[in-house]
Amino acid sequence: MDEHAHHAQVQEQSVEEMEMRSWKRKLVLSWIFTIPIAILMIAERFFMLPMLIEEYMIPIILVLGFPVIFIFGFETIKGGLRGFYTLYFNMDSLIALGTVIAYLTGFFSYFGFVADYSGVAAMIMAIFTTGKYIETKAKGRASQEIKKLLELGAKKARILRGKEEVEVDISELKIGDVMIIKPGEKIPTDGVVVKGDSAVDESMVTGESLPVDKLKGSNVIGATINQDGILYVKASKIGKDTFLAHIIELVEEAQGTKVPIQKLADKITSIFVPVILAVALLTFLNWWIIGGELGRAIGVGIAVLVIACPCSLGLAVPISLMVGSGMGAKKGILIRKGEAIQTMKQVKIIVFDKTGTITKGKPEVTDIHSLVKEDYLLEIAASLEKNSEHPIAKAIVNKAGLKRYKEVSKFQILRGRGVEGKIGKKEIVIGNMTLMNERKIDARKIMKEIEGFENSGKTTMIVSESGKVIGVIAVADAVKEDSIDAISRLNNDGYRTVMITGDNERTAKAIAKEVGIREVIANVLPEDKAKKVEELQKSGFVAFIGDGINDAPALKQSNVGIAMGTGTDIAIEAGDLVLVKGSLVGVVEAINLSKATFRKIKQNLFWAFAYNVVAIPLAIAGVLHPVIAEIAMAASSITVVTNANLLRRKRI
Amino acid sequence: MKKVKLSISGMHCASCASNVARSLKGISGVKECTVSPVTNKAFIEAEDNVSEEDMKKAVAKLGYKVVKVE
Repeated sequence: MDEHAHHAQVQEQSVEEMEMRSWKRKLVLSWIFTIPIAILMIAERFFMLPMLIEEYMIPIILVLGFPVIFIFGFETIKGGLRGFYTLYFNMDSLIALGTVIAYLTGFFSYFGFVADYSGVAAMIMAIFTTGKYIETKAKGRASQEIKKLLELGAKKARILRGKEEVEVDISELKIGDVMIIKPGEKIPTDGVVVKGDSAVDESMVTGESLPVDKLKGSNVIGATINQDGILYVKASKIGKDTFLAHIIELVEEAQGTKVPIQKLADKITSIFVPVILAVALLTFLNWWIIGGELGRAIGVGIAVLVIACPCSLGLAVPISLMVGSGMGAKKGILIRKGEAIQTMKQVKIIVFDKTGTITKGKPEVTDIHSLVKEDYLLEIAASLEKNSEHPIAKAIVNKAGLKRYKEVSKFQILRGRGVEGKIGKKEIVIGNMTLMNERKIDARKIMKEIEGFENSGKTTMIVSESGKVIGVIAVADAVKEDSIDAISRLNNDGYRTVMITGDNERTAKAIAKEVGIREVIANVLPEDKAKKVEELQKSGFVAFIGDGINDAPALKQSNVGIAMGTGTDIAIEAGDLVLVKGSLVGVVEAINLSKATFRKIKQNLFWAFAYNVVAIPLAIAGVLHPVIAEIAMAASSITVVTNANLLRRKRI
Repeated sequence: MKKVKLSISGMHCASCASNVARSLKGISGVKECTVSPVTNKAFIEAEDNVSEEDMKKAVAKLGYKVVKVE
């Protein structure tokens, strides 16, 4: 973050705090003036007042009420009345109109007017202010996790300048600077350990509760806490490019997305105030002309104005989404699109990509069966595979551990099948059975070994030289420790679990069996994954879980795409949900969180609709005093926000 | 096309947010706009020629203030 942005962030937080403080001040001042009014009104209604006070009652109330409405309530009155000339009406328009009319009846009563609502005016404003204060506070609570994320970043960094240690502001930190982090200190920004070793607590960013060991060459994430050793870390990402900045961006952007179920509520919110203004006017006219009571008509009209609550409707969904997002972020689950939490409910089929999702994605060579000298087999295999970025290729190169490679010409990657190239004059082909069949290379000699490896879940790479098989290298990618637990939970919940992989059927089935997945789609080329997802979608909604880099099209095609991070990198673009750490238990948690959040959304929408549907007709019918109406209004929007906060009680 | 994020102060109800979204969408060249009544942020997708000033004006017209543009 550059200095400017950092400054703006600090400023923004204080704007929110300033608003809270200002509501609080208005609230206290309003009640200082409103309580005497309330006492006078109650006294007048239920007890006989001395004549002297009775006579001065209205002027006293008008004087006491003036500051409440026109000074402490100035912003509301101004904002509300502005609506009458811009024609953008908001909640304030209702309150402003209601209170101003009520206040004016006090003056009119001197001209023989029938009713006086001037005391009511101050009470409405005071209750409104109180309601807004409580609501703002509850909204602050709803966003507490997200606020914590915003404040998580380090402010200072200690770096090496030559041989000297200097402390610099985080904004002065540059890529390539070597930071020194002592035990208990926060790692200032993303980087690579160049010296020292330690365990680092990454829970605040990834949700991973166990400390992660770091040594020379390890990637570390900014804002995580160094536990026990001194680390020298070379900064690799700063400002907006850091891991934390990306998480914040994802979470914030998600708040701007819509959940489809809120469409109706949003539509109503957008026309709510003008409609209520019209309804209040009609109600007033009806009570006046047909009912023949002007005084009563004004009271009922005011009640209609102040009871209507667009906030409960408009806040019902976004406030729940906010609490849900915050809870998720704490556990390393990022909700990117509000739509996903609604769609999740309909998901029946969960498709897992194998490599990097179910397995660790770090394959290692486990067995070699060679028909020639093993060293020779490895040497030519590694020489070719050195040119490929594929994880299996890397495993072979690592296993060979060569210092010098043979020169390879005409190298080619055959996607999903293997590689080929020439060493000297010899044609080398390395890959799976499909590739061997394609090239008409006879692998029957080693078929028994191949089957044996594959039945134990290993991937086999057949090596051939000049059209003849010379051996097979078996590579295994260990299953993540918690995959079995996560998948059994999903199976128990009634999901159809499917694994999709480029591996051959035998290897795939062995791995699927190990983790408890019942269905396997094997031999799928990377580019065909999306097509397979589409086919599955014919029988129900599909959630696809993959790494977000190679699987982007499949993630997009699925109804809910869940992208898995690797712990130091998050797949930003693809995926409706993003899991920061690569654990499959996160998938179970993400599903539970989505469902719980969506239930909360439905509850809130129900209450908001029910409130307005019941309360507005009651006000029109004239059975609610304006003060009661205002209390009900304040209570309804507080209820919605508080109910959303209750989501936190849910164990995910 | 560009994406702009505005932080807006002074909105304290759901209809405020809905009004701001309507006002911003009224600018020609603004394709998509959502305003969260919770975070008080507007997310805008607009043609490159839509200026920050236009957006600020659309917000100010309703009596709110843009405190930060990203």
